[in-house]
Amino acid sequence: MRGRQLMALVRKDLRLELRTRETIVAMVLFAIVMLAILQFGFGTRDDDLTRFVGGLMWVTLAFTAVLGVGRSYVAEREQRVLDGLLVSPVPRTVMLGAKAIAIFLYMTVVEIVVIPLVGIFFVKGPYWDAIGWIAIAAVLANICIALSGTLFSGLALFTRARDLILPVLFLPALVPVVIAGAGATHAVAGGPHDMSEWRGYCLFLLAYAILFALVSVATYDAVFDD
Amino acid sequence: MSGGAQYVVAAYAVIWFLVLAYVVMLGARTARVGRQVEAITRMLDRRAAEESGAEPEKVEERP
Amino acid sequence: MTDGPTRIPGQRAAVIWGALATILVVVSTIGVFLIAPEDADQGIIQRIFYFHVAIAIASLVAFAVACVAGILYLRSRDERWDDVGEASIRIGLLFSVLVVITGSIWAKASWGTWWVWSDPRLVTYLIVVLIYAAYFVLRSSAEDDRKMRYSAIYAIAGFASVPLSFYSVRVAESFVHPVVFTSGGAAMPGTMLGWFVVSQAAMIALFVALLEVDLLGRRSERALRRLAMRLESA
Repeated sequence: MRGRQLMALVRKDLRLELRTRETIVAMVLFAIVMLAILQFGFGTRDDDLTRFVGGLMWVTLAFTAVLGVGRSYVAEREQRVLDGLLVSPVPRTVMLGAKAIAIFLYMTVVEIVVIPLVGIFFVKGPYWDAIGWIAIAAVLANICIALSGTLFSGLALFTRARDLILPVLFLPALVPVVIAGAGATHAVAGGPHDMSEWRGYCLFLLAYAILFALVSVATYDAVFDD
Repeated sequence: MSGGAQYVVAAYAVIWFLVLAYVVMLGARTARVGRQVEAITRMLDRRAAEESGAEPEKVEERP
Repeated sequence: MTDGPTRIPGQRAAVIWGALATILVVVSTIGVFLIAPEDADQGIIQRIFYFHVAIAIASLVAFAVACVAGILYLRSRDERWDDVGEASIRIGLLFSVLVVITGSIWAKASWGTWWVWSDPRLVTYLIVVLIYAAYFVLRSSAEDDRKMRYSAIYAIAGFASVPLSFYSVRVAESFVHPVVFTSGGAAMPGTMLGWFVVSQAAMIALFVALLEVDLLGRRSERALRRLAMRLESA
């Protein structure tokens, strides 16, 4: 029953998105622009930014995540879907899970573009051998982003100036994810090929995901309690 | 090495400066409450005076 | 819930904790500056340690109190828990700012630079300040019941972020850099540890005293508002 509700909600999000494609396209474009801006922001035309690969990738992904998470409840809010959803007998945790899955999928699409692009743009070292390890870290980080993002976008949804509130709430909570994601990427692709460091960061991401899953499940009922 | 005393003093001073600033902030709020209580008291006094004076008519009570 | 005629609930607690905090602060100041032995390596600079770390731990206590208050608010929907949460986070934020400032001064004193990204304590507290500063942004953009609810949820989520920030910075630190400060913990001689415990107690007492005074003010404000409302309807 819950599984069916969950799949129905996820399908609704994806169908809306596939019809308009407004969020995904914007996120991917934004990420590419971010990468270019970061390169120019360094102020050098240095071709080899291998040392900064973790930072370049995860700064881009963090800001793209804020953009995507900010969009995630817009359809519900603008078309008053949320009102219907809230009076329907769908448990809040199912709503949480559906939103988190949608955000996870959006971030995955963005990363499918961004991760190879970072390698092409910035890295002259042996990047492609490490891409599997980077992908694993990225999947873990996506779970973290999806869980905390769902919680914070729910909080920001009915505030005044919510477009402003969301980054202020979400980015500080995302700092550990950026630290761990960038650290893991740097460990395998940024020079010091250090698998134990990569493992440490991945374990950290796992811990983050578990902790935020617990907090979200415990508090999500209260987010939409009007 | 016994240099660097100025840093220790600075750190200590900053702590108490900010804590005191916080207490002043709390004090300002208490003062505001006090002012409002006084305003209410004055208003009640006025009302009592009017009631004992001419007629027990309802007065305009808040500015 | 009617207030007594002469005394607001919590008045005695505020007085007791205020007195306790005053005594402990005076004792710890005397102990830290006049009695505790000079550190062999860092000299007088090490004395920042006593209040820097004590305030850091006291701020964590404040955030923990806010988290518990948030849970209790969500359970009871009693606005007094919202008061406790907001007051605790305000004091905790004040303390975290102090941790960053004193840590920065310490960095300047021992390494000659105001900011060191490799010192996990400075970096962690910078993140903590950002997390809890956002709490007030959130509060200011919602109203009444929703404000209290969101604040409670954010206080809980924020407190979950705190250990994550701590650990995330230390994962990096344990691989990349050696531990910078070892003067804390087990390496400390007994008398230093003793004075540290006293200043720790002083800072926690200071937190409780500030919290009690703050809550007292909020209770008075609320009582006043009730009075004004009753007069208006009379």
